[in-house]
Amino acid sequence: MNPERLQNIKNQAISTILEAKSEKELEALRIEYLGRNGEMAKLIKSIPGLEPEVRKTMGSLINETKQIIEQAINAQKKNIQPQTGEQKDWFDFTVPGQKPPKGHLHLITTTIKEITEIFSGLGFKKVAYPEVEWDWYTFEGLNMPQNHPARDEWETFFVKDLIHPKYGSAVLTTHTSSGQLREMERAKKPPIRMLNIAKCYRRQIDASHAPMFYQFEGLVIDEGINITHLKGTLDYFVKQYFGPKRETRIRPFHFQFTEPSFEIDVTCIVCGGKGCNVCKEGWMELGGAGMVHPTVLKNGGIDPEKYTGFAFGWGVERLLMMKHKINDIRLLFNNELKFLEQF
Amino acid sequence: MNIFIPDSWLKDYLKTETPAKEIARYLSLCSQSVERMKKIGDDWVYEIEITTNRPDCFSVYGIARELNAILPRFNLKTKLKTLSNLKPQISGLKETLPLEVKISKSSLCPRFTALIFDEVIIKPSPKIIQERLEKSGIRAINNVVDISNYLMLELGSPMHTFDYDKIKGNKMILRESADGEKITTLDNQDRELPEGTIIIEDGEGRIIDLCGIMGGENSQVDEKTKKVLLFIQTYNPVKIRQTCQKMAFRTDAASRFEKGVDPEGVLIAMNRAISLFKENCQAKISSQLIDFYSQPQKEKSVKLNLDLVKKIIGVEIPKKQVITILESLGFKLQKESNQQQAYLIPHWRFNDINIPEDLIEEIARIYGYSNLTSNLPPTANVMTTNNTFKWESRIKQALKFWGFYEVINYSMVSLELLNKTDFDNEDCIKIANPLSEEWVYMRPSLIPSLMENAAKNKKEKIRIFEMANIYLNMGKNQLPEENLTLSILVSGETFVSLKGIFESLMEDLGIKDYELSSYPLEKTAYGKIFHPSRRAEINIKGKTVGFIGESKKDFNQKFCLEEKIFILDLDIAAIIEMANEEKKYKPISKYPPIIEDLSFVIPEKTYLKDIVDLIKKTSLIIQTVDLIDIYEDSRTFRLTYQNQEKTLTDKEVAEIRKKIINNLQEKLKVKLKGSKG
Repeated sequence: MNPERLQNIKNQAISTILEAKSEKELEALRIEYLGRNGEMAKLIKSIPGLEPEVRKTMGSLINETKQIIEQAINAQKKNIQPQTGEQKDWFDFTVPGQKPPKGHLHLITTTIKEITEIFSGLGFKKVAYPEVEWDWYTFEGLNMPQNHPARDEWETFFVKDLIHPKYGSAVLTTHTSSGQLREMERAKKPPIRMLNIAKCYRRQIDASHAPMFYQFEGLVIDEGINITHLKGTLDYFVKQYFGPKRETRIRPFHFQFTEPSFEIDVTCIVCGGKGCNVCKEGWMELGGAGMVHPTVLKNGGIDPEKYTGFAFGWGVERLLMMKHKINDIRLLFNNELKFLEQF
Repeated sequence: MNIFIPDSWLKDYLKTETPAKEIARYLSLCSQSVERMKKIGDDWVYEIEITTNRPDCFSVYGIARELNAILPRFNLKTKLKTLSNLKPQISGLKETLPLEVKISKSSLCPRFTALIFDEVIIKPSPKIIQERLEKSGIRAINNVVDISNYLMLELGSPMHTFDYDKIKGNKMILRESADGEKITTLDNQDRELPEGTIIIEDGEGRIIDLCGIMGGENSQVDEKTKKVLLFIQTYNPVKIRQTCQKMAFRTDAASRFEKGVDPEGVLIAMNRAISLFKENCQAKISSQLIDFYSQPQKEKSVKLNLDLVKKIIGVEIPKKQVITILESLGFKLQKESNQQQAYLIPHWRFNDINIPEDLIEEIARIYGYSNLTSNLPPTANVMTTNNTFKWESRIKQALKFWGFYEVINYSMVSLELLNKTDFDNEDCIKIANPLSEEWVYMRPSLIPSLMENAAKNKKEKIRIFEMANIYLNMGKNQLPEENLTLSILVSGETFVSLKGIFESLMEDLGIKDYELSSYPLEKTAYGKIFHPSRRAEINIKGKTVGFIGESKKDFNQKFCLEEKIFILDLDIAAIIEMANEEKKYKPISKYPPIIEDLSFVIPEKTYLKDIVDLIKKTSLIIQTVDLIDIYEDSRTFRLTYQNQEKTLTDKEVAEIRKKIINNLQEKLKVKLKGSKG
């Protein structure tokens, strides 16, 4: 009799107890280890035969082991389903379930995921480019020279005291289109199938504008890309996102960095296209698109004689607000848990 | 910019039976977008958004001209009234009133026309003019002033009228202003003029016109006016725009001038004005037409290759149809050979049409986008190496299912918040023209925003996270570094529960070799946020990738938060680089494990990690070491021994156990519970 043996008995007991599958088995194990003639009893009986100076230690060790085994048996009991009297048991299945903790992703995150998945089906690859960006990538390189009235469309935030000798002032990018030239520079050569989803910033705030918002930008450049591809892509997206009943229309519009340029409308989600106070004569504006302007291709180092491309840039919030009937964009950035937990 | 056009006015110029609703629909589909329609009496008013590239559409006539090309495509009949742009023939003048005009630089005013009327009777305009102005959003004033507003809306040429007798010395000098000059404009406002503003002074050196924007009060037409000087010009668009921006003052006329007014259209407006002055004011012409036009528009032609038309539109449009469409818009086929054509650009589209793609847009929109087929672009093999998004999404998902709320805050924060959280605003990227004090600096950390969220929601138990870029100033000529960061804030929980989140995240990312070490720095922002001892720095392969700990009490109090707050802040960009999804199969042992619990008594200030590491190091057959109980100075671990190749004997385990106990005792003074010494 020594502490090693005791430890071995304990180990053996714990592993067999953990293996036990029924109360019956556990009861057998209890008898085997803790019963009147069990292992522990035998050990206790052997104590008087020990050297006097180890009797006390052994005694307390045996006691401790007994307790541990007992605890293990009790713990295992809870893990085992009762097997007797199954038929007669009354069972309350109306008891409320114990739910795992419930968290919530932000609606913008889930929408971005949805958008990314829809476009990834068409082979678009997601990218990320700077939010604080040079004027060149945001405006000038996109065919918007200094002092061009088209710049008025964007209420721009400028960064204080940061000007690059070649690329101009630093701004908070006003649109994801600033990723167009970055992507052309990265890819160096078509094919390009870019999906740029990013934070953008404009100096305005009201129910439909926040100073920070998200856009998603598609850019496709390749040989033989034409307007019908743009039409097909946007149709596909709208039907995937809003459902098959949604109709789209393309209207001429103007952007300096696309030619031709369009705006895409979708039939109003509220009135279904009859015309109401939310929409414009039955249509809701989704966003802009167009064929990449040859000057922009040139600025991105791509031969406009050989390649053509299309681009579109839409607001993420605009989409989700339409779909989830949210009437104020600022709700999305208030971070009230009562709002967040609805999604 | 939006304009309002009454249907009745439009139909003065465009003869068509088309109902207003249909006009609105087809105009939107092929040209400028009709945003809304309003019924006033028995007239419809269209609200039309005009794009910046189409100043030619900024008028009733411009829209009529567009519709004349569009409606026939939908089998609707139209006839557009033509207007003369010939010089008005002025004859039979007995005596003429003098006016001396000097223009300091012709680039300021590409075309300058003026005409003087005498015997003007000032009175209200005819009712129809008053009504139309009102429907278009302009207040009627008197017959003279109304003519200038009416024709601006009708033809797109802004014009101005002066009281001729108020122009001293019958003299006008058009020049750029010097710094500090002032004018009182028609609206009775004193305005200081930025240097380089286009102005007119009279013979006595008084400034009488803020050109292209608003006239001077000192020369305005009033009820006593007898002689009127009518002014129709075009100005340098960039100059007008700069002045408007500097003065933060813009008028209807200025918005037109800064987008470019057609100099060839000036005479059309002059001819119309002459007839309205005669009709509405019973006025007599009393001068010859003054017309300075130093560089008349030259003929401009743009080439078009029909192959390019197909390449961009994606549909073959027959040559004949291309010609019909472009000619309906006023383009003239100049040359043609095979697939190559050249078109003369009409004067009203002079600045807008420059390259073949511009012509292709014209063809496509009139042909009708709805008539084009829809095709998906061919897929292509695009190479990217960016895995960030996949991990980003996976981490967010995990946190969601672990019970966290995701928040999204603005990237910009206030000076107040930075000060409150001990971040140095001098190091931050600052916005030069902030919208409000709330949003001035690009945030250098997500923690301040999360503290605000916690404060706002006032809940005892809160679990929130945000994953977003932080912005680090990189100095001159450099964009800031935008670093993707994950910050997690919990309250009403323990350090152990937050650390568990971190450990599970690392496990999911396949990162094993991370280490926590104490963080001694006091003066950094993190040093100030976290409790001086209840915090740790997280390192992976020698690189600091984050912090975990409890925030200081006085820090929490600044946000009125009473509960303990625990924060995890991770440089997710760096972590994702080390993430590893690869998992390799390890054969599952056929031999049973031996499981045992060992309790130890540990000395004060002993790190548990050191104990666990030491146990694990003892033998390869130790598979797991889990802490299962803490009681006073005793720690109980559950060990699993297992050999891949054979069943372990008690003897083998006994040897390893002995080693463990000896190692712990020697190296860490950790004793097996119940043992002596």
